[in-house]
Amino acid sequence: MNIEAVKSIYLFEMNRARRTLFQSIVSPVISTALYFIVFGSAIGSRITEVDGISYGSFIVPGLIMLSVLTQSIANASFGIYFPKFTGTIYEILSAPVSSFEIVLGYVGAAATKSLILGLIILATAHLFVPMHIAHPFWMMSFLVLTCITFSLFGFIIGIWADGFEKLQIIPLLIITPLVFLGGTFYSISMLPPVWQTVSMFNPVVYLVSGFRWSFFEMADVNVGLSLFMITFFLAACVALIWWIFKTGYEIKD
Amino acid sequence: MLQKDTNQSVIQVEGLGKTYPPDFTALKKINLTIKHGEIFALLGPNGAGKTTLISIICGITNPTSGRVLVKGKNIISDFRATRALIGLVPQELTTDAFETVWATVSFTRGLFGKKPNPAFIEKILKQLSLWDKKDNKIMTLSGGMKRRVLIAKALSHEPEILFLDEPTAGVDVELRKDMWALVRGLQETGVTIILTTHYIEEAEEMADRIGIINKGELILVEEKATLMQKLGKKQLSLELQKPLKQIPKALADFDLELADDGHCLIYTYDTTAKQTGITALLSKLGDADIKFKDLSTNKSSLEDIFVNLVKETT
Repeated sequence: MNIEAVKSIYLFEMNRARRTLFQSIVSPVISTALYFIVFGSAIGSRITEVDGISYGSFIVPGLIMLSVLTQSIANASFGIYFPKFTGTIYEILSAPVSSFEIVLGYVGAAATKSLILGLIILATAHLFVPMHIAHPFWMMSFLVLTCITFSLFGFIIGIWADGFEKLQIIPLLIITPLVFLGGTFYSISMLPPVWQTVSMFNPVVYLVSGFRWSFFEMADVNVGLSLFMITFFLAACVALIWWIFKTGYEIKD
Repeated sequence: MLQKDTNQSVIQVEGLGKTYPPDFTALKKINLTIKHGEIFALLGPNGAGKTTLISIICGITNPTSGRVLVKGKNIISDFRATRALIGLVPQELTTDAFETVWATVSFTRGLFGKKPNPAFIEKILKQLSLWDKKDNKIMTLSGGMKRRVLIAKALSHEPEILFLDEPTAGVDVELRKDMWALVRGLQETGVTIILTTHYIEEAEEMADRIGIINKGELILVEEKATLMQKLGKKQLSLELQKPLKQIPKALADFDLELADDGHCLIYTYDTTAKQTGITALLSKLGDADIKFKDLSTNKSSLEDIFVNLVKETT
């Protein structure tokens, strides 16, 4: 294994985040703080509790997922798209690195950034609402799995995209609505029965539900099913990336 | 320093073909051997297939047929071993605009599996007159400086084989000469160099062997000296005292043409022939009472040879 190459890609990407600290970390933290003010304090003060948990605390796992999902996709897709856009992808393709090592470098860096962001948002949440994490191990497991899975998904988008518009289209038109409709700000049980059924087709519901369970031991769907769904999505992304590198889709003539 | 052995092949290209959908054939069964330690110049007009050939050898493009061996190892099944030996300076100025010179050159070294070596990077940057720019962002550099950065990146992992795809395109004469000196220096250390160029004088100046590619076909591979000798023609120009309207019938056996409104008579002859025919021509000119003020000879350049060969195959 070309450890030096993985290290180089990883550190290169992490340095890019350091250079764009405001965009990478500060901006999502400010957005999340605004969500706490609007939903937690302003609107949340009129909603007493959800399943025995104060509304401000209830939305914390969903807000972390919202940022982690969108930032994982944004970081990973931009990370691989930018070399394609500038043409510097030539040196990645001509280097003695395997596709696994390329993915490890780019996705590893994107997932790390999202993980750091998720933990910063969690720390920020402590400033606004009282927090207790019932299952820290599972909380970290869900967080890490989500970071990796959606960074892989972002990597796929970055390879597929042949312009900045395409780079934005899936996160804006698909991911953001799925996250907002995935129980970020509410419990699925609060919906009418028909919409509860419809929500079960939204994969984000399983992520938010499992993650929320690790905080409050309450979930919209079975925790095992949540874990299975995220693992399934992870496997699907890995399979798609394997196919991309095997065929050279959008990266090699 | 690498051992220089010009008889040993370092790259073998066997029946290499590349077709782009729907039916554009970029390369047609290319067979080529690059010898260790040589400078090989690949010439060809735009779209001839030069960059495609290089891209396949370097792993950027997949071949449709055939195979490439680098030091006896297949570039696909043994890609780690083969790519580690190769450095590539691409044709386009593709750089990370927001990175510093130092960061991007160090990045390439790591990408090729080499441990950090600041002293070596410093040496390269100094060789390429980039040392005082090491902390500058690439976007602030001139085109020529960016070209140097690309060379520094290609050299950062100490390759044994260096591909230079149009290395001096768009750089000034001084920088071009600096690069030639650098390439020669690299060759002296045993690095094999393959360059594509539009500047025929570059190939004429530097190459040991020359390959000419046109429409995806390698139409000629030859030692430069042999090529110049084999295909080179010489011309004798005679500046006449009185202009001629046409070439006299008595001189019909000679390959003559009139130029400069009949003031100049040009005789083209083969340098490899047993007799050049100059003595006979001068004698016949005397017989025909055609007098001349001055004479000069000139040899056809590689450019003439190249243009003629490409014309013949078109």
